[in-house]
Amino acid sequence: MAFIKKIRTASRPDDQRDGARDHDGLILKLDSADATTRRWAARDLAGDPRASAALLVRLQCESEVSVREVILTSLMRIADPAAIAGLVACLRSEDASLRNEAIEAMKALPADVGPIMRDLLIDPDPDVRIFAINVLESLRHPDVESWLLDVIDRDPLVNVCGTAVDLLTEVGTAASHDGLERLKVRFAAEPYIQFAAALALKRIAPA
Amino acid sequence: MTQTATISADDFLKFQEFFYRKTGIRFEDTKRYFVDKRLIERIGQSGTRNFREYFSLLRFEADGTELQALVNLMTVNETYFFREDYQFDCLVKSILPEIVARKKDKAPIRIWALPSSSGEEAYTIAMCLIERWPGIRDHDVEIISSDIDTGILAQAKAGLYSARSVAHVPEAYMRKYFTKKAAGFQIDDDLRNAVEFTRVNLQDPADVRPYRHFDVIFCRNLLIYFDDLSRKQAAETFYDALCPGGFILLGHSESMSRISSLFQIRKFADAIVYQRAGVERS
Repeated sequence: MAFIKKIRTASRPDDQRDGARDHDGLILKLDSADATTRRWAARDLAGDPRASAALLVRLQCESEVSVREVILTSLMRIADPAAIAGLVACLRSEDASLRNEAIEAMKALPADVGPIMRDLLIDPDPDVRIFAINVLESLRHPDVESWLLDVIDRDPLVNVCGTAVDLLTEVGTAASHDGLERLKVRFAAEPYIQFAAALALKRIAPA
Repeated sequence: MTQTATISADDFLKFQEFFYRKTGIRFEDTKRYFVDKRLIERIGQSGTRNFREYFSLLRFEADGTELQALVNLMTVNETYFFREDYQFDCLVKSILPEIVARKKDKAPIRIWALPSSSGEEAYTIAMCLIERWPGIRDHDVEIISSDIDTGILAQAKAGLYSARSVAHVPEAYMRKYFTKKAAGFQIDDDLRNAVEFTRVNLQDPADVRPYRHFDVIFCRNLLIYFDDLSRKQAAETFYDALCPGGFILLGHSESMSRISSLFQIRKFADAIVYQRAGVERS
């Protein structure tokens, strides 16, 4: 036995893939009984801006984790309004893993998520508001601090404000100082807010 | 006179948390000097005046150029033979025996090493298989090593190395596999013929599609240079490139668990590696 070196290709010869790889063909394959076929279809649809709706439909019922991951990555690559709206809808899902997957996906899409973030942060559902703050955690967007300041100035729920303060501890600047002081007053009877706001103020204090 | 920036303890904590989330690399307090020195260097070179401005640039710069520059500075990016040798021990003592035990056909064992850089890793794998793995007598092996840079691939194929590059090669292997030349150390033709070098852009689906049916992938110290989405895409590429049950080895500071849930952690005696879960039709 020995080392084998193939010429001109790094691939084995049985890599022929069946069926049409166009839009319609790939959409059909999303419903294949075979997980590998569905995963490859989802991968190939990453470059197809018309595929968002079909990918989102599949995501709702897809049970194979490897296919779900690829669907989400393809939606992130497409990132059109339909894909973003679909990810936002996932935040309202009862399926915790789907929600978390949507949060992770949205974190990577600052330019696309930015325009809808203000609305998400005043959503009637407090869970959605908290998930939106979770998205901000890694969202590379210049308005993150001002969005968080809006939250701690007016959100009525301690859990929402607490989540926002935790993040301000990392991203806050001197501009957050007054907002954090106001929050301490607004939730004077909440020990966690007192602790979290004090920590954030210490972190943002000038060196 | 220009004032040198300073990094406070709270600045360090902020940076530590941020950098960990972005790269999976956590600098403990013992690394303060190392981190501070590099942060101050980048603060100066990026045109920012202090940590606060620089941290804002890091967080909000849309294309991530500065974060990339900082990652490059914070990570040691050099290649040499037998780098992180314990992973090659893991390959021959644990991974290959497991692969051989479950292999039902005579197909060769396939190993993909990327980025190839100047070839040290791929040639190290070949040497380890010959010298440390008795199974090489009974099994065919393909070693494919890929890089996006055609210049570095030409260097890899040429197989000529500096003294620094071969510093960790055991003396017996040096005598057996290298010849001293005026320009450096020439690796022998048998090893050069053992590895196929190919150009591939890991982020290009058309490039990576043919790369399938691998039993082992070495991808060390590459993913830390990618953004989150590209990392996820790379993980999915590796998933499809591996046979079910195949293994992937990352750099010591990298963690697949923070990128994707597609792989299971396997703790072997010599190293922690990741394994493609499930068995399905290939």
